[in-house]
Amino acid sequence: MKFIIAIGSKDYSGPTLELGMRVAKAFNAAVDIIYVGEKISAFSTSEVKLAQENLDNWELDRKGVDVLQWAYEYLVENKYIHSDSEDSGFNTDKLIQTDDDRCEVQLEGCMTQEVGLILRNGDIIQQLRDEVKRSAIDVMIIGGSGERRMAHDLVQYVDSSIFVVNQFDPNQKYRLLLAADDSIGTKGAVKFGVRVAQAFKINVDILTVSKVDQFRDGYKGAAERAGKFMRRTGIQYQNIYRVGDPSEIIKKEAGDNHIVIMGASSKNPLMKFFKGSKPLKVMEDCPCPILIVK
Amino acid sequence: MLGFSNQTIADLLYWVTRKRWLIAAFSISLFLFYIPSPAFLSPEAHRTLIIVVITLILIIGEVIPLPAVAILILILEVVFGIDTPNGVAKSFMSDAVFFIMGSLMMAVAIVSQGLDKRLALGIIKLTGNKTWRIVFGFVAISSILSSFIGEHTVAAMMLPVALTLIRNTSDDQKTVHRLSTILLFSIAYGCAMGSIGTPSGGGRNVIMIGYISEFGLGNISYLDWIKYAYPMLLLEIPIAVAILWMTFKPDQRILDSAVRKLKVKVTKTGAMTGNQIMAIGIFVLVFLGWVFLSPSLGLGIVALIGVFLYLSFGLIEWQDINRNTNWGVILLFGAAISLGIQMKETGAAEWVATQSINGMSMLVNDIGFMQWFISVFLTGILTNFLSNAATVAVLGPVVLDMGGNPIILGISTSIASSFAYLTIVASPTCMIIHSSGLVKSSDYLQAGWKLFVISIFLLFLISNLYWPFLS
Repeated sequence: MKFIIAIGSKDYSGPTLELGMRVAKAFNAAVDIIYVGEKISAFSTSEVKLAQENLDNWELDRKGVDVLQWAYEYLVENKYIHSDSEDSGFNTDKLIQTDDDRCEVQLEGCMTQEVGLILRNGDIIQQLRDEVKRSAIDVMIIGGSGERRMAHDLVQYVDSSIFVVNQFDPNQKYRLLLAADDSIGTKGAVKFGVRVAQAFKINVDILTVSKVDQFRDGYKGAAERAGKFMRRTGIQYQNIYRVGDPSEIIKKEAGDNHIVIMGASSKNPLMKFFKGSKPLKVMEDCPCPILIVK
Repeated sequence: MLGFSNQTIADLLYWVTRKRWLIAAFSISLFLFYIPSPAFLSPEAHRTLIIVVITLILIIGEVIPLPAVAILILILEVVFGIDTPNGVAKSFMSDAVFFIMGSLMMAVAIVSQGLDKRLALGIIKLTGNKTWRIVFGFVAISSILSSFIGEHTVAAMMLPVALTLIRNTSDDQKTVHRLSTILLFSIAYGCAMGSIGTPSGGGRNVIMIGYISEFGLGNISYLDWIKYAYPMLLLEIPIAVAILWMTFKPDQRILDSAVRKLKVKVTKTGAMTGNQIMAIGIFVLVFLGWVFLSPSLGLGIVALIGVFLYLSFGLIEWQDINRNTNWGVILLFGAAISLGIQMKETGAAEWVATQSINGMSMLVNDIGFMQWFISVFLTGILTNFLSNAATVAVLGPVVLDMGGNPIILGISTSIASSFAYLTIVASPTCMIIHSSGLVKSSDYLQAGWKLFVISIFLLFLISNLYWPFLS
């Protein structure tokens, strides 16, 4: 599997990087950590490039390198990557220009597969979408503190699963809330849920919500199958059945001490665009991390 | 749905959301195309204005590459029957385009010589280590240098000097936020103010000189322009320093250790090299060429002579010029100038000017003042969202057709296009300082609006009290 963690700054991306790397470790996945700098006006691209090349002559790092450096130090400190005694740390020289707007460095991972550090510039949605396609990414991990619209657009337009690290507190004891119904996405969500629960050694609440009093067979079946899966893998779980508006109930049950995992909506993209979807609504309102599995 | 997979629909939706400005441009232009031409507007002029609308939307939205906008302008001029293919080709290439091309190439050649370290040493020797003196030095040097060699060249050279001072003061961005802001804006605003000083300060000055000459309104030499514009530049320097100081007063009043470390860093570079001396020599020759030879050779050809010398003396490789020159911008400015000429030729510019004056006459009696104010204010606002050269290329013909003294209106418009203080996208220099990651978009407005208002007021005084004596 391959994960990508999008970081924006040293001040706010700590929880995203921490949770992202822990999940990547659970899956023994390859990880890319990406920083996307702001889009440069087309009128100024060459001029900004010229100025940045001049900064290199002065041995001054361009914007974004400091954030990657911070991520590099985090990886070394937490032993995610090898660091030999001759290693001089991270600097611009290590970055290899692969495209006009993209440079990267690949590092050997200790607890995961290889780890890449990537610097890109441009429209963030476009850049992340390109990166997902280019590297066949399975899961994208982003912070929740950015614009809501960004997470919304990523869920809509990016092919990978999306993990939004909303208000993650490393000291909080989390449970996992797995939303199960008869949709196609539930199967994938259960698989992810098991791996995450195993890695974090946490208990699982399997939540099934029906809009009407009578639970459909498909709903019950999905919840039971999810439970069976958990039992087989030795994970403590409980089934919860609720009646009401699914997004509201999920939000209420999740509180601020759950990591929510749910399948992506199987609705037509046009319907999702105009009317939204359950995962989008939960993602917008829930004050806790949420993984939408595609 | 309709046999399309969800993936195809999602891709299509993505395209539509990203290209909404393109869709808007074509929808609006299609609507405008089918409405009858207003009174006193010829069909050709009507279609020219449609191209103007499309161009403005596409440039502001930046939904397609700039060269694509340029190509679209040229195609539409022919397809709409505004001019013949040969006529469009002729209007596309002019001395102003040669100048823009030459000055962008020269910028690459000059920046690559490593003269910035000497510049840093020079500034520090002049200013000492007091922060307010360094700010004054940054504004003054940036504006005076950019009046001759172009604003982004100076910004590219000054940026590392400022960043070295900032990083030598503290690694903690919060501690040095105000210091970073004031130093970086000293460069950006200094460069913007300086770009009006001489015709070679910015492509739009040459575009305006070209229009004035092409439309038979007069000839403005290099020195004539300096007489008009330089006093404004000199007056703006202390004003900008005062505004920046009052807005972003830094905690660090003396940069003793940072200045010392900068001195150590730049003195390591040793004595001036032969290439650096040659680079300066060639620029001096080009400057003399602009002053004395431009009436016969044109500003653009003189700039190209400079590029030729840099290349043939081996001071720069063609690959470096090719890689760092914004060819898309050159194409776009060529197309925008062509569009400006078509606006004049078809009468579209005159129609817009007449409509504006009629509109103004309903509001105020003093048409002369309103002509001036609308030209300057509109240019000042547009330049903060569009490129300054594109603003002048499109608005120039309208302003020159407004009546009144075209020289005063023309030069005022050109000067107002340097009031690029309000947004990140206002000019390459604003973008360059933003690329450092040390200034926020809200910082631009904080000091920018004050400088914007005072600059308009200052320009009003100079154009009314001083310029009439020059005519």
